[in-house]
Amino acid sequence: MPIPKFPELTTDIAIESFDSAKEMKPYLTRPRAMHVGAPGKHGYLNLGFELDREGKSILRELDRRAPLIVQQELYFDQSMPEMPCVYILSSGGPNIDGDRFRQNITVKKNAIAFVSTGAATKLSTMYDNYSGLRQNIVLEEGAYLEFLPEPVIPCAHTRFISDTRMCVHPTATVFYSEIYMGGRKYYKDGELFQFDILSVCTHGERPDGEQLFREKFIIDPRRSPIRDVGVMHGYDIFANVVVMTPPDKAAEIYQATTAFIDRKHKIAAGISHLPNGAGLLFKVLGMETGPVKKTVREFCSKVRMAVKGKPLPDEFPWR
Amino acid sequence: MNLMYLLQMTDSTFPVGAFSFSNGLETAAHEGIVHDAATLEQYTRSVALQGAFSDGVAALIAYRAVKNGDIDAVREIDRQLILFKMNDEARMMLQRMGKKMAELAVRLFPDSDIVARWLEDIKAETTPGTFPVAQGVVFAVAGLTEEDLFASHQYGVINMVLGAALRCVRVSHYDTQLILQKLSADVPALYEQAREMTFEDMNSFVPEMDIFASMHEKGNMRMFMN
Repeated sequence: MPIPKFPELTTDIAIESFDSAKEMKPYLTRPRAMHVGAPGKHGYLNLGFELDREGKSILRELDRRAPLIVQQELYFDQSMPEMPCVYILSSGGPNIDGDRFRQNITVKKNAIAFVSTGAATKLSTMYDNYSGLRQNIVLEEGAYLEFLPEPVIPCAHTRFISDTRMCVHPTATVFYSEIYMGGRKYYKDGELFQFDILSVCTHGERPDGEQLFREKFIIDPRRSPIRDVGVMHGYDIFANVVVMTPPDKAAEIYQATTAFIDRKHKIAAGISHLPNGAGLLFKVLGMETGPVKKTVREFCSKVRMAVKGKPLPDEFPWR
Repeated sequence: MNLMYLLQMTDSTFPVGAFSFSNGLETAAHEGIVHDAATLEQYTRSVALQGAFSDGVAALIAYRAVKNGDIDAVREIDRQLILFKMNDEARMMLQRMGKKMAELAVRLFPDSDIVARWLEDIKAETTPGTFPVAQGVVFAVAGLTEEDLFASHQYGVINMVLGAALRCVRVSHYDTQLILQKLSADVPALYEQAREMTFEDMNSFVPEMDIFASMHEKGNMRMFMN
């Protein structure tokens, strides 16, 4: 019996497309399940933090479309109780092919905010299409944002592309971290680097449009040897942290941070200066999420100490 | 005559200072991570792949811009390449070698307006003057082909690491020549990909190398400048 045709519903928000990216060319087949950007596969989030009349940072703007969910801000950071904290949740479970997500985060003048995710982001096995995420992070004068999500877990044959634009005032600081696992390490006999492709681009600019840096990595384990010395070598997890901050803060953080290879615990980290005085780039390689997350949080604590004079609190024991 | 130009500009004695850099190998060797021919081959392949899809792409774009007489496009790819370089020593290497290349080129091609202008721009600091872009400019002026340029670029990147390896890793000349031959075989396929790419497609994924670079920058090993 032929499958009946249903009308393709869309939401009122424009669908992000990455179809023009060369690396996604092999993955443009129409999904056999729900179409690209169908309601429920077209997540949208618009978060706007600003100071209220008493000078307290609040989440003033919140617009969202399923499956992305953010509830009201909480003030749970023990060392910075004045900071609004939100978790981004995805009610749809893992990302699937045909998902197109958009996240905008704005932190207005002198406001502060902390954004994380409620759990790891799972990128499911995909057969036809890909999953894409576009982010726009804007920080006004003197603003401060910590973006510290849980790791991303790419399953076998997943395809994921993201583009993150950060537009940051020269006096503002953004801590932006991403942690990528090689895969579902403990699933069956271990599923590491069996995904089809991860393409991640992060670029920074000033409010006047001056471009500062552009980092793009494409991980295609079938086409280039991921286990070679210099690439992932023996490590299973990779964290990438961009810190855009004024040059004096960057110098202080750079001084306070060590680059190391710990052969015993199989963890390594390095720090470098972004071009054009944009700030710092911190990378971590490790075997398990716990120690990698801990290293990223310790680095975040140095950033917070340099900029706000306070450390990060201990992580909640259930995280 | 073209073959002679190609050999001259690809030769490791071409005075752009390539011997001063190790691309992180010094740290990798010091840490005992690159310690023999097999690990050196892997490391060199990582450097070559990264070079092909960033610097190699930039060189090709600059070459075409010169062929089209579009100096603004040369400046743009020069700027884009610096935006893409994530540590101080990498930026310093590209700018030092690029300036030396331009200084040499004004002597080798005294009739070329574009070469003269390129050096002036670098001296006036209106453009960063990266090495791959200078290579693109010079190869276009010398009448060499895109394939020549890409091959010469990859040869230079591979040979820089192997040359440094002879000074800091326990390998022989036989080992390094075999690695060079093996990695050279990949170059035509890399060119087929790189030739299609714009600056937006430039990409690089060498996190362990980035950590070596950071340790080198923070440390006090100083046989090489990176």
